Amino acid sequence: MTSEVREKKIKTNGIWLNVAEKGDEGEPLVLLLHGFPETWFSWRHQIDFLSSHGYHVVAPDLRGYADSDSPPTHESYTVSHLVADVIGLLDHYGTAQAFVAGHDWGAIIGWSLCLFRPDRVKGFVSLSVPYSPRDPNLKPSDLFKSFGDGLYITQFQEPGRAEAAFAKHDCLTVMKKFLLTTRSDFWVAPPNTEIIDDLEVPSTLPDWITEEEIQVYADKFQKSGFTGPLNYYRAMDLKLQELEILAPWQGYKIVIPTKFIAGDKDIGNEGANGTIKYVKGEMFKSIVPNLEVVVIEDGHHFIQQEKSERVSQEILSFFNKLRNITE
Amino acid sequence: MDLTFTHRFVKVNGINMHFAEKTPSFTDNGASRPPPVILFLHGFPELWYTWRHQMVALSSLGYRTIAPDLRGYGDTEAPESADAYTSLHVVGDLIGLVDAVVGDREKVFVVGHDWGAIIAWHLCLLRPDRVKALVNMSVVFEPWNLKRKPISMFKSFYGDDYYICRFQEYGEIEAEFAKVGTERVLLEMLTYRNTGPILLPKGKSYDDPVSLPSWLTEYDVKYYVSKYEKSGFTGPVNYYRNMDRTWEMMGAFSNAQVKVPVKFIIGDQDLTYHIPGTKKYIHEGRFKSHVPLLDEVVVIKGVGHFLHEERPVEISKHIHDYFLTF
Repeated sequence: MTSEVREKKIKTNGIWLNVAEKGDEGEPLVLLLHGFPETWFSWRHQIDFLSSHGYHVVAPDLRGYADSDSPPTHESYTVSHLVADVIGLLDHYGTAQAFVAGHDWGAIIGWSLCLFRPDRVKGFVSLSVPYSPRDPNLKPSDLFKSFGDGLYITQFQEPGRAEAAFAKHDCLTVMKKFLLTTRSDFWVAPPNTEIIDDLEVPSTLPDWITEEEIQVYADKFQKSGFTGPLNYYRAMDLKLQELEILAPWQGYKIVIPTKFIAGDKDIGNEGANGTIKYVKGEMFKSIVPNLEVVVIEDGHHFIQQEKSERVSQEILSFFNKLRNITE
Repeated sequence: MDLTFTHRFVKVNGINMHFAEKTPSFTDNGASRPPPVILFLHGFPELWYTWRHQMVALSSLGYRTIAPDLRGYGDTEAPESADAYTSLHVVGDLIGLVDAVVGDREKVFVVGHDWGAIIAWHLCLLRPDRVKALVNMSVVFEPWNLKRKPISMFKSFYGDDYYICRFQEYGEIEAEFAKVGTERVLLEMLTYRNTGPILLPKGKSYDDPVSLPSWLTEYDVKYYVSKYEKSGFTGPVNYYRNMDRTWEMMGAFSNAQVKVPVKFIIGDQDLTYHIPGTKKYIHEGRFKSHVPLLDEVVVIKGVGHFLHEERPVEISKHIHDYFLTF
């Protein structure tokens, strides 16, 4: 299935990114941005589907992941860097405007792309993570403090801490704990517990992923480690990353056509104040007016793998609509 | 001629910003269309005050003129943190200012000079949706270059005595300025007529008498000195200390063009016009390739760096003639 995916290294923004690619280079470009802790492989279904429906699909391992470069310090992992990496990829392909889909951290990069370079985005699909406009009165680190030390983001801050906690398990187990989670809370561990120890591995695999597929991830992380990926969270605490660099977009309306897709059991959908409620609310509509929302029943966090056909269809129909193509 | 300005303060982007304002004294035949707004962005080492002539002239022609002290300058707050002076901070301030006093979907005309011109270029990259047209002066738009990290580039081109290199160490140049005296420092800069790069070797003496040019009165000097004596040089110099940090944050704009209509004005005695390669850059097409809507370039003969203070009437006319076309 993925045997025709080509992989190559591309220089962008001063680093080398490993990029998976499929489809006719003359077709419109779709850029797929994975999340934490994943690789381009999370998009394997969409890569095949979209490339066989008239798109040139490009899916990088993001900075810090798998076969891409991993700059050593977390200062190199701000959204500015991540967006610059993506722009460099689009420049490499000579793409004036791309279709973009992002999941989890990839969604954060995609939203940031819509702020920094709306001129380069034809349409954007966000999986799981909505746009969080800057609140000048609330720093991310203060917001996270309110959840206590058990919050995974807080636990990910201290260099080395999460790496040490993860290392107590083999990589395959670590990947299973993440990929197979069915938790809908904001991932808060009980006192004196590392989140990786709190996440459970189900006794049987669900039908949407195989042991071999999980091993693909495990092999990559075994080699490249988790520090690069964790640096994204560590960069959140930087003075500049504490959203001061987003000050120019205070109050900005994202006018690019966007679509938000999430499972109703995704992280943060537990309870009345969940993500989906926020996305469907008036406030969000006022800042992202050109938005479609799709909620997938019984879907969890790694939605493009778990509900691959549905997600593929939703992405395709959205991009096709923007090109005035109907099924 | 009404020489009075309204002084206002507004809280934006976490700082208290001071700005001067001069609005048309007449109303436009009763039609309730708000006057077009011009946002003026000063440079170093100046203040809103540098725009006094333009504000008088243009408000009498029907514009609402707004000139802030940029963060760190004059009566605007100067954040403690030395890292809080990147272009993204300053552009954030200006978006907040325009949102607060003009309206949060409104576009404005922008006029920039020196550091204000750099900020204006970045404003056009980051928020082109808020700029109707730009008259920029003295400093051309330099596209972002991965291989040109600012401070190391200046060091290799001009050496350690180059003023920007000498400004890097926190506190160092402030201490030297304090020894020389605020008035002398400002006079040295405002009257600089050399077309070569500004070099500040340590131990340089500032004993030679300085005579005021015709365009700078005793009153003007007193005004600048009083403000700089109060708020100091750290805020203004911090802009130079954040050039590398701004560069690190702007990688997403590596091939980006400025997509706003622009008129560019420069004096042929301005030291910036004499930076090697600049004349060619301006006149042989590369400037326009990065600023495709560069409608006009004006080189004014016999005029130096502070062109809008040297030739206020001419500059005001250039501004009005251009903005009239929109």
